Amino acid sequence: MPDSGYPWPIETTRLDNGLRVVVSEDRTAPAVAVNLWYDVGSRHEPDGQTGFAHLFEHLMFEGSVNVAKTEHMKLIQGSGGSLNATTNPDRTNYFETVPAEHLELALWLEADRMGGLVPALTQETLDNQRDVVKNERRQRYENVPYGDAWLRLLPLLYPPGHPYHHATIGSMADLNAADLATFQAFHTTYYAPNNAVLTVVGDAPAAEVFALAEKYFGAIPARAEIPAAPDGRSVPPAGQPATETVVADVPAPRVYLAHRTHPYGTPGYDVTTVLATVLGTGRGSRLYQRLADGERIAQPDLVGAYGVDLAYAPAPLIATATARPGVDAERLRAGLAEVVDELATVPVTAAELDRAKALLSTQWWRHMSTVDGRADVLGRYATQFGDPAKIGERLPGWLAVTAGQIAEQAAELLGAADRATLTYLPEEQS
Amino acid sequence: MTLIATRPGPGAARPYRFPQVVRRSAAGGQVVAAHLPGQNLAVALLLLDAGAGREPVGKEGLGGVLAKALEEGTAQRDGTAYALAIEALGTELVTGLDWDSFQVSVQVPVDRLSAAVALLAEAVRTPRLDPADVLRVRDDEATALRMDWANPGPRADAVLRADLFGADNRWGRPMYGDPASVAALDVDDVTVFHSEWFIRPGTLIVAGDLDRIDLDALAATAFAGSGGGPVVKGEPIEVPLAGRRKVILVDRPGSVQSTLRLGHPSPHRAHPDHVPMTLAGTVLGGAFTSRLNHLIREVRGYTYGIRGDFASSRRFGRFGISSGVQTAVTAPALVEAVGEVSRTQATGVTEDELAVARSWRAGQLSVELQSPRAIASALTTLVVHDLPDDYHARLREALLAATVEEVSAAAAAHLHPDSLTLVVEGDAAVIRDDLVAAGLGEVLDHTA
Repeated sequence: MPDSGYPWPIETTRLDNGLRVVVSEDRTAPAVAVNLWYDVGSRHEPDGQTGFAHLFEHLMFEGSVNVAKTEHMKLIQGSGGSLNATTNPDRTNYFETVPAEHLELALWLEADRMGGLVPALTQETLDNQRDVVKNERRQRYENVPYGDAWLRLLPLLYPPGHPYHHATIGSMADLNAADLATFQAFHTTYYAPNNAVLTVVGDAPAAEVFALAEKYFGAIPARAEIPAAPDGRSVPPAGQPATETVVADVPAPRVYLAHRTHPYGTPGYDVTTVLATVLGTGRGSRLYQRLADGERIAQPDLVGAYGVDLAYAPAPLIATATARPGVDAERLRAGLAEVVDELATVPVTAAELDRAKALLSTQWWRHMSTVDGRADVLGRYATQFGDPAKIGERLPGWLAVTAGQIAEQAAELLGAADRATLTYLPEEQS
Repeated sequence: MTLIATRPGPGAARPYRFPQVVRRSAAGGQVVAAHLPGQNLAVALLLLDAGAGREPVGKEGLGGVLAKALEEGTAQRDGTAYALAIEALGTELVTGLDWDSFQVSVQVPVDRLSAAVALLAEAVRTPRLDPADVLRVRDDEATALRMDWANPGPRADAVLRADLFGADNRWGRPMYGDPASVAALDVDDVTVFHSEWFIRPGTLIVAGDLDRIDLDALAATAFAGSGGGPVVKGEPIEVPLAGRRKVILVDRPGSVQSTLRLGHPSPHRAHPDHVPMTLAGTVLGGAFTSRLNHLIREVRGYTYGIRGDFASSRRFGRFGISSGVQTAVTAPALVEAVGEVSRTQATGVTEDELAVARSWRAGQLSVELQSPRAIASALTTLVVHDLPDDYHARLREALLAATVEEVSAAAAAHLHPDSLTLVVEGDAAVIRDDLVAAGLGEVLDHTA
């Protein structure tokens, strides 16, 4: 196993307009991944504008000065490529993987929507994509059992005014109120070269990528003032547990326990990552062994724990379980809480720790096994930590975590007073 | 601002290459492997001819229960010890099932592959199948299906499948079974299915750096204790088309969207029209700029997405469209979707659309075949459908060579807008009148 989590070359440059360019050449396959991280996410959204960063992501596919509406998708897929974009609280990323001979096309398309979106943005496009996003909200959050859990957990974990208080999908009311001028201003404010990282991984040499980046992005002007998101790094402890119980059309009781931990990328969050794996990944995890197998109160396929990798505030750790038939929500909640509480009192064994690290190692290399997986993580490290080479430190960071650190973190951060509990009850049981 | 206005053309194309394929007979079974030099991860997958198509009618979901029961202990160790042993290697046992095959696999750093394959074989060949464990797993699986069926989609899928293929046939029932079929399984069903299908050697698929992998040793481990000859794969099934189009309404009170599942039977996988049919499906509903997604999402804003495709297994296939649309626009969305199927059937595809479809499908053969997991999956296609080592390269050529005439002819021959079954899972009280008024066909209420 290599000492670094990133045994590929990394070369970087910065254009005069501030655009950072990261290249990692790998000629194994004749494909190349192009990835842009813009340092804007739902954490930047003020009150009354929730969901705007994500709706904006949709607008980026609807044409720019030299690219007709819907042509972006057509040109990338028509080159054999895969593409998408995502928005989360921290950032918005855009990415495509194309056969290597189409690298220049991908860069041209990305430059055109970075530098030339506003003149092409129309009311008709906004109205259409607003409808699409409202349907996305219905499909992913409203029309499925437990679909709104994340929307409910965030305000339990982060107080009003905190950048993570509201969910990225936004509210229907805010989406309905969105006007064209706001989105034009949104682009002008945030979609600037000095607020972005361009990463290219795969069958392309760095010198060629740097030259193409200069050619296509070099003339886009920097923006002097890019407003920062509100600072959310320190979240005052609530001093008392937060709880919410939802009676809904769900097939079984389900409980989520959530805690604020450390920001992604810190040694503390490395501990959280390993802790979550010990607690909730796989049949050998504590939650599975205790609740699904041992007491048999939780459904085996639906028990687990995970950290949410957010970087600008203490990130959530979430543990969840769904009741087996005949088990009530309170018994399930108590069982779940007991297993979480024991992280502070029952030391993690060497076997538990090795199991978690082995699973995390495989997960890491799986993520690194595609050029698109690598490009996205390089973009993250350049954006959030100022240096893509820090990517190599993550896996060693996980592997260095000790049982003592896990117990310490559990005692410090996972206590009942800092806990958010969200419980779903089926309608007939209420 | 000086953005470059001219769209750049492509550079010099790199030659397409699928990894080198190695096949051999060893230790009584077949090995099919792909060489991925320098790759740190490896995947090993045991492919058994034990797909859902092997389950007896009335025993739907048997394979899924057996898959879970494999991990409840083996001849050598109990379930907990097994979980700890395999997860200590950095992998879970991943099982999968489709109509044609049962697959069980591990994914680990390459130096742990032989140990992981040993544990895989231990679970597949020598599971304990203790009756109490089997019954508990069965109950858990029935509960898991009940949870899944609380989401929109599974009920509509089942109703469509039954209407297309007939609920008297195994292939007219859900691939993974339903909560009731699983709850009715007994211990003997599981142990008999295991002894009938899981002791045969099958095929070991390996994707990884073969310079660091001893295939003969892996084969000896995977096939130890196996036996039984090859089995007849079964001929393609003739599925009649419906004589008329109809709408089946599945009630989901209070639903804020209607879940649409439209379809009709289509040819099996080995049909000579496979490539032009795939491309016709791509133009109609596969690519983002497909006719369906363009009209119903990008122009109308009725949905987050809609897609249509031809899907096929060894013995049968179906054309299908799926989407979720806002409740209030259910009827117009259906009318427009059926309209696009009719238009494509009647007038074929254009060169402009086909150019996107062929390049996309061809390019995906390099862009989406990078990870060991994806390569292993591509190898299973070779085995299940008896395809040659250079299949992916040949497929790429066939996609790029397909003409407008061939693809339009496939659309004309294999799309049947008047035989579509339109299943709508939504708030019946709100949408029924609109559906009747739309005149797409008789509106029937599904009664569970």
